Amino acid sequence: MERFYMEKAFVTILKVLSWLLLISLFVFTLYPVIYTLLGSLKTNAELTLGKSILPEDPQWVNYIKAFKDANFFQYGLNSLIVSSATMAIAVLTSSLSGYVLARYKFAGKKLMLSTYQAMMFVTIGPVALYPIMNMLSKIGMEKSMLSLILVLTGGQITNVFLVMGFVQRLPRELDEAATIDGCSIFRVYGQIILPLTKPILGVVALFTFRNTWNDYITSLILTMSNRKLTTLTVAVVQLKYSVWAAAEWHIMLAGASLAIIPVLSVYIFTNKQFMSGLMEGAVKG
Amino acid sequence: MISKNKIKQKGQIYLMLSPNLILFFTLSVYPIIWVIRFMFYQYGGPGTGEPIFIGLDNFRRIFTKDPIFWKSVINTLVYAGGKILLVLPLAFFAAMMLTKKNLKGVGAFRAILFMPTILSSAVMALVFYLLFNAYNGEINKYLMTLNIIDQPINWLSAKNAMKVIVITSVWGGIGNYMIYFIAGLQGISNEVYESADIEGANFTQKLFCITIPMLGPVLKMIMMIAIVTAFQDMSSIMVMTEGGPINSTMVMFLYAYQFFFPISPGSLVSTQFGYGASVSFVSACIVGIITIAFLRFSRKLDEIY
Repeated sequence: MERFYMEKAFVTILKVLSWLLLISLFVFTLYPVIYTLLGSLKTNAELTLGKSILPEDPQWVNYIKAFKDANFFQYGLNSLIVSSATMAIAVLTSSLSGYVLARYKFAGKKLMLSTYQAMMFVTIGPVALYPIMNMLSKIGMEKSMLSLILVLTGGQITNVFLVMGFVQRLPRELDEAATIDGCSIFRVYGQIILPLTKPILGVVALFTFRNTWNDYITSLILTMSNRKLTTLTVAVVQLKYSVWAAAEWHIMLAGASLAIIPVLSVYIFTNKQFMSGLMEGAVKG
Repeated sequence: MISKNKIKQKGQIYLMLSPNLILFFTLSVYPIIWVIRFMFYQYGGPGTGEPIFIGLDNFRRIFTKDPIFWKSVINTLVYAGGKILLVLPLAFFAAMMLTKKNLKGVGAFRAILFMPTILSSAVMALVFYLLFNAYNGEINKYLMTLNIIDQPINWLSAKNAMKVIVITSVWGGIGNYMIYFIAGLQGISNEVYESADIEGANFTQKLFCITIPMLGPVLKMIMMIAIVTAFQDMSSIMVMTEGGPINSTMVMFLYAYQFFFPISPGSLVSTQFGYGASVSFVSACIVGIITIAFLRFSRKLDEIY
């Protein structure tokens, strides 16, 4: 009998502890974001000396300053254009490759698949950007936005495999009939495969947009020779190196908020797709 | 007629593959070939004269004369080890708590923990940099208000910086691995647990005899992803500490990077492309060796079960 009660007490304590841990995880996760959003409305003095987490008197002027003086409107626009274009190109190219790999036999297919698979595990880090930049400047494209977009699109190994896996799970009859009827591969792709693969293409689009919007190193290097192309993420981080950095925490946080608010608002409506998309990749990938 | 169609079809196939293949070769394969070529050269970059072939001299320098590189290897191991050991148990715990059937609002709770994953690690590194600032940072303010410390702690000093970097990466990583674990946990059928309940198994027995063994393959994949990602992380380190102070947070790929590009706008670069190429090659090999070792090790584990 005594043992039974001890066990019960033990289980209760364990339950309480695990809830406490879960709650601390929530606080830990939310705190930096809340600090950023609320801090963006404080004065610099409030940020560095104040103790309250709430702003005394919301300083919307911080945002005006960020937009006007720090040129964040332009950078935000750059980010939006670059991320959207990268997303579109990534969806198009990965779906083309994924579909062909899932459905057709061709010379070099095995080699292509094994090279892609091997490259998933080979990484030389951002050093790769040097030869790429070098090549771009040889053909006079080191200052163009298109270069930034294409480099951010990249080899897309994961996306190709995601689409390939998805197409392989579609019943073959759907597109085979059309092929036999004499439809060209392009038509089968455009009229049958594209509509059917919408769910996985949505995942590819969402993740590409997120990666591009958030990217720091690639965007930093590709915009070095043309500052006009600077993206929002790069511009925000560069504030750390401005001469007035110590006196401009409020502008830094306003900038950081500008960089995270668009993604957060998209996330409110798409968090289910984000998480199920990741599961899709995890279970079948 | 048929063969003509076939040829046309082949053409179309390659045409459709070409956009992705071109991007793959120029952006993924070509840089590796470039690195493999230049690691045998002494090359200071454009305007410093022609590259000179020096054979294995760069590797001699790495293995005998470059303590900073080896320090960066140790730092990478410490960072990756710390991150993985904290992220995976916390993510597993969160996944266990948030797969309960009778818990209301599970979706929203998951969404909150997953949120850091969608935010820029570079931007959030800047925020953590402010939070952990020695003089005006919130963390020191809280600790001092609560009387836990009387003197502000210099969080970004050589002694503490790595801890802060690991905390930042744990913050950014839990949600991602939580989702992987949830995917794995949902794959285990309920019947197994039901029959265990009938047999009178308690929570710990269920955890170690059902959940963990049945997660096996997923767990292996999760650890694999965790290892490969942790070894590559560098943007948040670049933003927070630039590898310093005194190289205490320098990781392999950041060390290779600074032979090509300045880590921060003010920092000096001594462009040594040949040497940088060999450093990144050796770093890539280290990641490769660890990945293969892990795969071997996990295969052994499979045999035991």
